[in-house]
Amino acid sequence: MAGVWVLGENREQLFELLSIGRSLADRYGTTLVAFAFQDAQAARDCIAHGADRAVVLKYQGQEGPLDVFLPAIVEEVKGKDPDMLLIASTYKLKELAARIAERLKAGLCSDCIRLVFNEGEKSVEMERLMYGGSAIQRVICLSRPAMATIPPGTFEKAEAGSGRVKEGDVDEIVQTHESAVTILERKVRERESKDIREARTVICVGRGFEKKEDIKLAEELATVLRGEIAGTRPVTEEMHWLPESRCIGLSGIQVRPDLYIGLGVSGQIQHVTGLRDAKVICAVNRDANAPIFGVSDLGIVGDLYDVVPKLVDELKKGL
Amino acid sequence: MQRPSALGPYQKQGIPMLDIIVCFKWVVDEAFIRRTSSGDLDFSSVDYKISEYDRNAIEAAVRLREECGGSVTAVTVGPPEAAKGVKDALSRGPDRAVFAEDPLFGGLDPSQTAAVLGQVISSKTPFNLIICGEGSGDVYSQQTGPRLAEFLGIPCAAYVQKLTVKEGRVTAERKVEGFIEVDSLPLPALVTVLPDIATPRIPGVKDTLMASKKAVIKVGKNELTAVPPPLLKTKSVRAARVERECEKFTAEVEDIKRFVAALQKRGVLK
Repeated sequence: MAGVWVLGENREQLFELLSIGRSLADRYGTTLVAFAFQDAQAARDCIAHGADRAVVLKYQGQEGPLDVFLPAIVEEVKGKDPDMLLIASTYKLKELAARIAERLKAGLCSDCIRLVFNEGEKSVEMERLMYGGSAIQRVICLSRPAMATIPPGTFEKAEAGSGRVKEGDVDEIVQTHESAVTILERKVRERESKDIREARTVICVGRGFEKKEDIKLAEELATVLRGEIAGTRPVTEEMHWLPESRCIGLSGIQVRPDLYIGLGVSGQIQHVTGLRDAKVICAVNRDANAPIFGVSDLGIVGDLYDVVPKLVDELKKGL
Repeated sequence: MQRPSALGPYQKQGIPMLDIIVCFKWVVDEAFIRRTSSGDLDFSSVDYKISEYDRNAIEAAVRLREECGGSVTAVTVGPPEAAKGVKDALSRGPDRAVFAEDPLFGGLDPSQTAAVLGQVISSKTPFNLIICGEGSGDVYSQQTGPRLAEFLGIPCAAYVQKLTVKEGRVTAERKVEGFIEVDSLPLPALVTVLPDIATPRIPGVKDTLMASKKAVIKVGKNELTAVPPPLLKTKSVRAARVERECEKFTAEVEDIKRFVAALQKRGVLK
């Protein structure tokens, strides 16, 4: 037997895995099986969304740690010999996936963002980020099954087809073991105050600023745009012109605002990694060859001391 | 270091003392990776460091020892060059280090690293708590900790941001999507920790001097039963590109007007 198996904590994650899983299952010429926790309806919906079979992992009693299913999942894999396991990269499933992989002595590609089927070898080449996002590593699993965790949001969700669900397509695997871990409580996460991760507009101060006092130029721009001020590593961690909590990049934080404007930012990969997901990236730099322009949507080649006041004036007129 | 079992007798007496193992990795400092004009990665001027996540893990281990008494052993698997990292780790407060050293240990996959760590830990170091960083600063697979827990057959909690140890159990506040889950695990156990767990100290001159007097137990490849074959093969590593089409403007007022219009068109001005 064989198959491509997908495992997720909720419908959205499962539907995404089913879309990539379907294309891989077709290439392998095999079946697509979805595993859902506790929720039999989610399992049935997976069949509507393209799974050939679905399995619901059921707790004995109330919901608890996911590792109560670890022995049963491992047994199921050993018995049915799937080609590939695709698991949603959530905090809990990342841990579970690594533990399944260890028990199966299987290779696992963590946080896989792209899968390419190699027709000749009937294997899947998987891509993931490394070195804090500055590099792409392409790996293959030397084991069977091949395993990958996939961050939610990486693939489109599989659409529902009509008339797919038949009786008896959903199997049930009941929890066989207890966990050593006891869940004591669940707490709502406190939001960090004034987190620039939440800002819709981020104005980033780079080394193009000559002195700390000049940051007021960036602040004027931030005021007009109702944005937050951030900095590159030299400006925060080395010069301490801005607090380290405002450092964007590899050694700092990742932001995904609607608008990022880098002022005097050169655009080293370590910094760019932190703003990859911004909707619109803009740069002001007097060096037309600065790498930041290569990763920007809109760039102004000019001295920030000249450009920023003009920009503030222009924005004030328009807003 | 002769101890009868991983779970020492003091646990049963309820005396809060702990033998902690903290694992760390000596990694490329990614801040030194450059990109050549052709878009390739340039490692020619790289330096190495203790993975950032692991520095925080070491700090968490040392603070727990300060609270509960006991010992901290720093364990790493790496090539001979990682000796620098061992000294750096010891300057951050652990009592001793175990260094599984081999030229080939620079390129292990997470399953191999876990297997080597597991063998070294079970043969050389009694413990009741293992702390690992959530992932390494270079590969960031986030697998070694959970794999090591399975290798040793002990309970595991990953992505922990707060730890307390009491009466033979560890309470771990772990991050999951949308909330914090508070777990209780019986010792011996393994946790992987997020950077929030503790801010690492900056070792002073005295710490560095002290570090060179601490015991380092070296373990060679021949002392291990086996290093298993890799389960992952890296086909290539290339620079990640952020692909955007840069529309360029000059600093002339007319161009600034066009720039603002372009922002408006993209709907990012409110």
